[in-house]
Amino acid sequence: MELIVALGLIVLKVAFLIAILLLLPLPLTWLERKIAGHMQQRMGPMRVGWHGLLQPVADGIKLLTKEDHIPAEADRFLFKLAPILALAPPFVVFVAIPFGETVSILGHEITLYVSNMNVALLFVFSVIGIEVYGVIFGGWASNSKYAVLGSLRTCAQMISYEIPMGFAVIGVVTLAQSMSLLEIVRAQADVWNIVYQPVGFFVFFVAGLAEAQRIPFDLAEAEGDLGAGFHTEYSGIRFAFFMVSEYAIVLLVSVLVVILFFGGWNGVLIPLPPLLWFVIKVAFFVYVFIWFRFTFPRYRYDQLMAIGWKVLLPLSMANIIITGVLLGVVAAP
Amino acid sequence: MSRAQDRVGTWIGWAFFADLASALALTFGYMFSRSVTMQYPDKEKWLPYSRYRGHHFLTRDEEGEIKCVACELCARICPCDCIEVVPYEDEKGKRHPAKFEIDTARCLFCGLCEDACPADAIALGQQYEFSSFSSADLVIGRDDLLAKPGKAATGGGVVAARLNTKKDVLVETKETQGYNWWRNIRRT
Repeated sequence: MELIVALGLIVLKVAFLIAILLLLPLPLTWLERKIAGHMQQRMGPMRVGWHGLLQPVADGIKLLTKEDHIPAEADRFLFKLAPILALAPPFVVFVAIPFGETVSILGHEITLYVSNMNVALLFVFSVIGIEVYGVIFGGWASNSKYAVLGSLRTCAQMISYEIPMGFAVIGVVTLAQSMSLLEIVRAQADVWNIVYQPVGFFVFFVAGLAEAQRIPFDLAEAEGDLGAGFHTEYSGIRFAFFMVSEYAIVLLVSVLVVILFFGGWNGVLIPLPPLLWFVIKVAFFVYVFIWFRFTFPRYRYDQLMAIGWKVLLPLSMANIIITGVLLGVVAAP
Repeated sequence: MSRAQDRVGTWIGWAFFADLASALALTFGYMFSRSVTMQYPDKEKWLPYSRYRGHHFLTRDEEGEIKCVACELCARICPCDCIEVVPYEDEKGKRHPAKFEIDTARCLFCGLCEDACPADAIALGQQYEFSSFSSADLVIGRDDLLAKPGKAATGGGVVAARLNTKKDVLVETKETQGYNWWRNIRRT
């Protein structure tokens, strides 16, 4: 009986997570267009619903009813597989992400995470690494020059930036003495990691921008030079899959930044519910993503590579060494 | 400041992303500035300046007689040949147009007909909303031209959209709107 309840709870939580992740792109696209509009002294969507609030719904209906076009020369199997491959990993990753400790609903203590893995961080990085396959398959299967160029760029970019991203996290792991995201947040109850790991945060955030393929690192889908990059040939619901995946990764990077460097659901000064603190912090970083998009131009390809290999990688390695030495000096018995 | 110090300062600024930070501050400031959008078909509508060349109109003199003397100079000077005038002579022996048709689908709104007219009868007015689903509807006859609104009296401005053309076109706008309003948007 207890097993069934526990299983049912997990299924319920997973269903809830999937619902959130599938529905979140709706408000996020609206927000992105609104912020873009106001930064450019426009208004953004205004006509569907109050201040264009229903615009994402209208866009969704449009995408669903559009012709699902597959190019004649495309590799049909890979073409259909790619959006799913791009969509699945960001969803899977959220299984390992904690959103808080526990809440009590109807007298039951319910944990705000699906599973507390002791290697959660490793799991996150390994699963998110798979995401690049969706992009590469999508670009290759489209049989289009733009798409192939976009996916080649993505491939190189993802590989270059996953290394500093992984290295930047090592400092946090040594501080918390654990790879479990829950333990990492608990270790930040007094002082957030941003105080000890500003360089780690910087490297992680910049690499996260690149990983999410957002401006200034959106070379994979640079509209100016590649049409739309790897999803040039995609239309209708398959294109929507790529969009949802992109927003899920934006959310994922924001959540990871908050958990690893900004104390997760630990609040400061103002006593708010922990979950609310968490949501506020994540919302801020999502806003920063959008803010960056409408502030910075895109980096050139060689600049992208130079930043990845010549700046972020040495910085993150130096960060590991300095963190290790300082920990050894300070925490030595 | 010496050049060496300047260089050091630049490097310090570069290391702490001073340039990126100032760009972020700029866009953040713009986010709270007034938007210049005119929500044209929904809310506001732009009022033309007095020199604006919109839809043609024909004028009458004090006695209510049509000013046009059907000299056909406008039809001659028209670069796209869109004006057709057929004259007649009334009982007082004055020439007037029996037919005065402008094909606004072909018109390029150059205003040469207005310049050519010896009787100040035809001019280009302020109306700019006359799109149509059929190009046949865009051929405007004499009586319709007489009914069209004349020159704008204001120097630009914004009024509520969905106007009653008879009532609302002569609304005087405040200085805080229109061109000057647009110029006063915060630029820092």
